[in-house]
Amino acid sequence: MPQNEYIERHQKLYGRRLDYEERKRKREAREPHKRAEKARKLRGIKAKIFNKQRRNEKIQMKKKIKAHEERNVKENTEKVSEGALPVYLLDRDVQSRAKVLSNMIKQKRKEKAGKWDVPIPKVRAQADAEVFKVLKSGKSKRKAWKRMVTKVTFVGENFTRKPPKFERFIRPMALRFKKAHVTHPELKATFCLPIIGVKKNPSSQMYTSLGVITKGTVIEVNISELGLVTQAGKVVWGKYAQVTNNPENDGCINAVLLV
Amino acid sequence: MSPVCQRPSNPCAVGVLTAGDEDKDCSGRPKIYENAELVELLEEDSFQAQKELALTLEVTWQAVSHRLKSSGMIHKQGVSPDLAVNKYRWPGIETETGIGVRINVLTLISSFIPNPSCNEFPKLDDVHPFYADLMNVLYDKDHYKLGLGQLNTARHLIDNVAKDYVRLLKYGDSLYRCKQLKRAALGRMATIMKRQAANLTYLEQVRQHLARLPSIDPYTRTIIICGFPNVGKSSFINKITRADVEVQPYAFTTKSLYVGHTDYKYLRWQIIDTPGILDHPLEDRNVIEMQAVTALAHLRAAVLYFIDPSEQCGHTIEGQISLDNISLFEGIKPLFTNKPLIVVLNKVDVVRPEDLPSHKRELLQKLEEVCTSGKITNGESTGVPGDVPLMMMSTVTGEGVQEVKIEACERLLAQRVTEKMRTKKVDGILNRLHVAMPQPRDSKPRPAVIPEAVQLKKQAAFISRKRKLEREIELEEGDDYVLDLKKNYEEIPEDERHDVIPEFWEGHNIADYIDPEIFEKLAELEKEEELREMAGVYAVPKIELDETMKEIKDLARQIRNKKAVLKDESRLVKQSTKPVMPRTSRARGRDRSTAGLRQEMEKLGVDMSDTKNAHFTRTRGHSRSRSKSVPATAEGVEGPPAKRARKDVSVGRSVSRPPRDEQGIKDVVLQKKAKKMAHVAIAKKVKKMGLKGEADRFIGTKMPKHLFSGKRGIGKTTRR
Repeated sequence: MPQNEYIERHQKLYGRRLDYEERKRKREAREPHKRAEKARKLRGIKAKIFNKQRRNEKIQMKKKIKAHEERNVKENTEKVSEGALPVYLLDRDVQSRAKVLSNMIKQKRKEKAGKWDVPIPKVRAQADAEVFKVLKSGKSKRKAWKRMVTKVTFVGENFTRKPPKFERFIRPMALRFKKAHVTHPELKATFCLPIIGVKKNPSSQMYTSLGVITKGTVIEVNISELGLVTQAGKVVWGKYAQVTNNPENDGCINAVLLV
Repeated sequence: MSPVCQRPSNPCAVGVLTAGDEDKDCSGRPKIYENAELVELLEEDSFQAQKELALTLEVTWQAVSHRLKSSGMIHKQGVSPDLAVNKYRWPGIETETGIGVRINVLTLISSFIPNPSCNEFPKLDDVHPFYADLMNVLYDKDHYKLGLGQLNTARHLIDNVAKDYVRLLKYGDSLYRCKQLKRAALGRMATIMKRQAANLTYLEQVRQHLARLPSIDPYTRTIIICGFPNVGKSSFINKITRADVEVQPYAFTTKSLYVGHTDYKYLRWQIIDTPGILDHPLEDRNVIEMQAVTALAHLRAAVLYFIDPSEQCGHTIEGQISLDNISLFEGIKPLFTNKPLIVVLNKVDVVRPEDLPSHKRELLQKLEEVCTSGKITNGESTGVPGDVPLMMMSTVTGEGVQEVKIEACERLLAQRVTEKMRTKKVDGILNRLHVAMPQPRDSKPRPAVIPEAVQLKKQAAFISRKRKLEREIELEEGDDYVLDLKKNYEEIPEDERHDVIPEFWEGHNIADYIDPEIFEKLAELEKEEELREMAGVYAVPKIELDETMKEIKDLARQIRNKKAVLKDESRLVKQSTKPVMPRTSRARGRDRSTAGLRQEMEKLGVDMSDTKNAHFTRTRGHSRSRSKSVPATAEGVEGPPAKRARKDVSVGRSVSRPPRDEQGIKDVVLQKKAKKMAHVAIAKKVKKMGLKGEADRFIGTKMPKHLFSGKRGIGKTTRR
C-alpha cells in the first residue's frame, strides 16, 4: 500500500532508470535549441510575451554574473581625506529651499499658460447617435422622443427621476459610476476616489449637464483622502481630473489628476 | 459548475408553491404547467434562456419569468446573469440593431472562476478529531484556514466582477464594446487570481500531501505501536502486515504514520506504525513526534509500547521505562488511559531480560508490579483490563511476534465487546441473537446409527473389487509413488504405452493427423496402385523422331544458346559504370563491312557462295580515307576505311575564344583534373537522386497535393 513518501522510498530502494542522468543531460542540452526555435517561430503576442520573459531572464542572469564577479574583486577603499564633513553635518537645507523656489516658479508658469492645459488636449467628438439610444414609447410604440444614455454617467446623490411621462433622458443604473481611479502624476500613485461632479465633457454642453463621462472628460474628484494641503494650510478636497480611458469599454474610470 | 450559474434550485421551495399556475398572458386556453417540469428543464440546460424555456413549455416568457421569480430562481433582475442577459436581448439589441450580441458570457466567466476547491478540501471542524489534529500538526491549522478563506474571498470578488460586467454588457451597443468589456472583465478576474498564486501553491501542496496520507479509519479495530526511535516498531509492522515500511538502523527512519492490515479471527485489524517519540515535554516535540502523539491521543486502540532492553536504540532502559517522571513511559502515560496496553520487550535475541544487570532487572520487575496492579490504564470503569502484560519478542528471529499480535488483538476485542455491551444498542442486538446449547439428557452415549445391512454391503463391495485403487497403491509405495495414468491405456500394446507423443510437431497439431483406420486405408491404396500399374497406366510411351524434327531441334538449341550468350554480353555491357563515349564523338573505324557481313552469315550457316552480284557487295570505294584505313585483319579481309571524326563547328563564336569548359584552365593536367572532378560530381548526383543519367530532369509529382492545399504556417512551403 503506497503511503506517505513512497516515491522517494522507491527511488531509494530501486534507484532511477539507468539512463536517467543521460536523458536529463540531453534534455538540458536540447533546451537552448528548443528555445531558439521557439524564438524564431513565434509570431504576434506570443512572441512579444516570450521575448519579454527572455529579456528579463537575461537581465537576471547578467546581474547574477556581475554579482559573482564583484565578489571576486578586491576593493581598495579610498582613505577619507582630511577635514571631510560627516553626513549629519552635510548641508541639505540649501538644496531643498532651492527646490521649493523652482517649484513655485513652475507653478506660476503653469497658471499663466492657461487653465485647460490638460494631458489629453484633443478628444474624439461623441455623436448623439452614439451616446443616445432612441427608446420607443406610447401604446403602439410610435413615439420616439425618449433617449437612453449608453455611456457611463455620473449622477449626483440627490437626483430624483422625473415621472416617466416627462423623462426625456434615461441614465441606466448599471452605467452610473460613483468612483474613479485617479492617478497623481507626480506621486505616480493611483487612488480610487469618489467623483463629485462632471466639470466638462468636451463633446457637448448637454453631455456635461447630463453627467456623461467619456474619454477626455474633466471630472471633479474628492481628494480629501490624500491629505493634500494648500499653501495656506487648508486640506484640499476637490480637484479636477481628466478621464484617460473609454469607461464604457473598460468598465472603470481611469483619470489623471490635473495638478 | 461555477457559483455564478448555480441557481438556488431548492426543490422544497418549489414544492410549497401551488402547483400549476395559470398563464394569464397567453391568449386562448390557459396552459397549465408544473413547477417540477420547469425545474427539470432548467437543470437540463443551464444556459437555456427563459425564452427558450417558454417555447419548450408553450407559454409566454413573461409567465416563465414570473414563475422563476416566485420560485426563487431569480432573486432580482440581473442577479442571475445568464437569464438577465438573454432577457435584455429580446426587446432591445437583437431586434433593433440587428447585432446578435451572443457572447456566451457565462461560459467565459465561469471558466475563470476558481472551482470552489474550498468545498473539496476537508473542513477542520467536520472531520474526525484525529484527522483535524493531524492536519493541524502537519499543515498548521491557521495557515490552512487562512488559505481557504482567502480563496473564498477571491471567489466572491470574481463573482462581483462578473456581476458588474454583466450589467455593463447589457448596454453594449456594438460587438466591439462587448468584446472590450469581456476582455476587461477577464483581465480583472485574472488579476484577482494572480494574487492567489502563493496561496494556491500552498493549498496544492497540502492537497498532494493529504492524498498521500495513509487511510486510517479511526473507528475500526486498531493497534498502535509506539516507543522510542529505533526500537523495532517498523520491523514489527513489517512482520505482521504487508505494509512495506522502511527499516533502517538509525533514528527517525519512519517520519510519518504508516498503516498496515492484518487478519486475526477472520477480522481485519488495522496496525498503525508511529514515528519514534523522544522523551521531552509536549511543547518541544517536533512535527514527526507530534504525529505519533496525535494518533495515540485520538484513536481508540490497543497500544503496544515497545522497549529495547538491549539499549541498541541509544536510550537507556531507565529512560524508556523508569517510573519516576524522567522516562518516556511516564511522560506519555496519560495517553494510555482507557486503552488496552501491552509493554513489549523487543530484541530479546540480543539480550534476554534475565541476563541484564541487576539494577536494570529491578527496573523491569518494578514495572511489572505496577503493570499488574492496574494503575496505568485505570480503566476499570471502561472495561479495560487493568493489568498490563509484559511480553518478550524478537522481530529478527520472529520469536514471540505472533503471541504479541494475538494478545493485543484479544485484549482489544475484549475491550470493544465490553464497551459495546454497555451501550443502549446492545439490547437490540441481543434480542436477535440466540445460540442453542442443548444440555445432555443423561450420561448415555447416543452415537449415529448405521444399519448392519449397510455395513455388510460396504464390506462386500470392498472385497469384491478386483482392481487396486490409486490411493491404495499410493499407501503401499509411500514416497516412491508416482501417479501413472498411462498404464490404464489398455488398447495400446504394453511396450508402446509409455511412449512420449509430442502435442505439436513441426507446427502441426498431432491430434489432427491421428486416424485410427490409417493402416487399412494405406493397404487399400497400395492395392489400387498395384492394379493401375498392372494395367499400364504409368508406362512411358516411346516417341520416335524423324530427321527434320531432329534438325529443327538442333537449330532451336543453337538459337537458345546464342540468345543466352547475347543476353549475358549485354548484361556485362550494362554493368560497367564507366562513362560511355557516344558513338558520334570519337573517330571510329568502320567496323561494319561486307566481308564482315559475309563472315558472320557464314558462321551462322547461311550459304554465301553465289553472292557475287548481291546488292551488298556493290560498295563504293573510299579512296580518301583508304590511307587511314584499319589494317587488314588476320583473315586477309581488308577493313573498311576509317570514318572521320565529326567536328562541331560553332559558327556564331569567334575562334579566339576557348570553349567554356576550357576557359581559365592552364594546362592539360588541370583540365583533366577538372573534368574528373566534374564527372565525379555528376556521378554523385546521379547516384544520390536516383537519376537515369546526367540529363535526367524527371520530376515525379509536379504539384504534390499536400504542399499546395491547406494553410501554410511559417516557413513550410517546401516541406510538410
